[in-house]
Amino acid sequence: MSDFARQQAEFQRGILDGDETVLAEILDSPREKRDVLFGVYRYAYGSRLVEAMRNDHELLHLYLGDEMFDEMGHAYVKARPSAHPNLRWFSQGLPEFLKSTAPYTGHPELSDLAALEKTLNDAFDAAEGKIAELSEMAGFAPEAWSDLCFRPHPSACRLDLATNAAAIWLALKNGHAPPDAAALEEPARLLIWRQDVTPMFRELATEEAMMWDEAANGIPFGVLCEMLATYDDPDSAAGRGASYLHGWITAGLLTDVSVGK
Amino acid sequence: MNVASPLPGTPAAALADRPKTSAKPPFLGFGLGLRHQHYDEILNGDPPIDWFEVISENYMLPGGQPLRALDRICERYPVVMHGVSMSIASTAPPNFEYLQALKDLAKRVEPKWVSDHLCWTGVHGKNLHDLLPIPYTQAALDHVVRRVQLVQEFLGRAIVLENVSTYVQFNNSEMTEWEFLSELSRRSGCWLLFDVNNVYVSAFNHGYDPLTFLNGIPADRVVQFHMAGHSHMGTHIIDTHDHPVCEDVWELYAAALRRFGWVSTMIERDDNIPPLDELLIEVARTREMAQKVLPAE
Repeated sequence: MSDFARQQAEFQRGILDGDETVLAEILDSPREKRDVLFGVYRYAYGSRLVEAMRNDHELLHLYLGDEMFDEMGHAYVKARPSAHPNLRWFSQGLPEFLKSTAPYTGHPELSDLAALEKTLNDAFDAAEGKIAELSEMAGFAPEAWSDLCFRPHPSACRLDLATNAAAIWLALKNGHAPPDAAALEEPARLLIWRQDVTPMFRELATEEAMMWDEAANGIPFGVLCEMLATYDDPDSAAGRGASYLHGWITAGLLTDVSVGK
Repeated sequence: MNVASPLPGTPAAALADRPKTSAKPPFLGFGLGLRHQHYDEILNGDPPIDWFEVISENYMLPGGQPLRALDRICERYPVVMHGVSMSIASTAPPNFEYLQALKDLAKRVEPKWVSDHLCWTGVHGKNLHDLLPIPYTQAALDHVVRRVQLVQEFLGRAIVLENVSTYVQFNNSEMTEWEFLSELSRRSGCWLLFDVNNVYVSAFNHGYDPLTFLNGIPADRVVQFHMAGHSHMGTHIIDTHDHPVCEDVWELYAAALRRFGWVSTMIERDDNIPPLDELLIEVARTREMAQKVLPAE
């Protein structure tokens, strides 16, 4: 290792771990001691990353308040040093961190709220994709419908939440007091996507969530309808499937509809 | 100090490794750092801004509103790309995934130039997201020259490097920052982004005259000025970019104009982003000062 490389490693340890070895190679300034000056880098490191987390998780910040959010943020910064050159991706691991780290494990709505904000952020700058139009459906012969396959828009993503984090998110977003956190008997099945430039989400019924998940896996419409028939009235399964499909297309959730093999 | 001559001890071989000459980037006028808070006002109006600088990493994304806005800005204004993560002075291996993303963005934007900072941002797989200082040693210079040459070859263009604000100096430095920058530019062929505020901040922090720095930079290598605000802590200054440009920095800008001439200039605000109109006043002042200080182009 070159002297230059050793010095950079020590400088980095000084910022990340408080190691003071590098101070021996730093000069006092005419007006200030070296440890104070080096402290500018130490302070900036934590505050910059926590600030990025505040920007990415505006409503989690609102929910926790400045003090608790910053305490949590600094714990995350300590546990998960950034490995990516782009700050945009720094807080991607926050939902998993909150799910697995005490004392946050005792408040599962925090992880859910972080996951919802992360997925909305991901939808915001997800790749572009063509938007399938309802008029395209008229081009398929009736006998082809059972073979139709669907490609979700690149921004579309499913997320299951075990708590009422979506209700907390909505209340905070609208400037209302959030409801008390609560575990749900059945997970909330959310579909998150971007319409034009705006990320949004809606909750799906159990069978619509199943149909979306399987459609995203490439299962054709005919099989999807057979699966829907096992969830509710078999006679209306095809109608329900067509209704869900209509909703997806009008919401801009699909990028392609085609006849599968 | 004669900055055009090689430093004592510069190996003769280093003089031969100067890259093919690239044309000096054009003078763009008086611009502004593009921030998302101003997208609508810029795209729906016609603000008197000659060009924009965009933070490269803010657009190294799959899609969505940021890239759509950028595409529209690029249709109407000259744009330069300014990165914060090239880590050109890092002793870690180059991050080619990052460089490829930067190259891909440059293909989309067709910027007038691509800039970053003379600094490093991390080693051993970590990124500290800060513009960290280096010792001004011959070994560091040789390393950075090689790294700049490699990056320029990869990107297929000469890059522009900015002097950063620093809070510490190393006791093993063998030359001044301006000597280092001058040699780096001369040997690697990179151009220089002269951040007037950073010179002011570093000069205060380390106790030297900013004019000494200014006069130590070769006049023909500077292609851009940054103007920004800072936070004065009494014993040191922190480069926060969250205030208007202070009078001392305006004064240094006038001196920079006299030395470097007509150089593309921009106002850089990164925090406490004010309404566009407030920044336009500062942009107008950069233009007025240049017109006052310099003879007509």
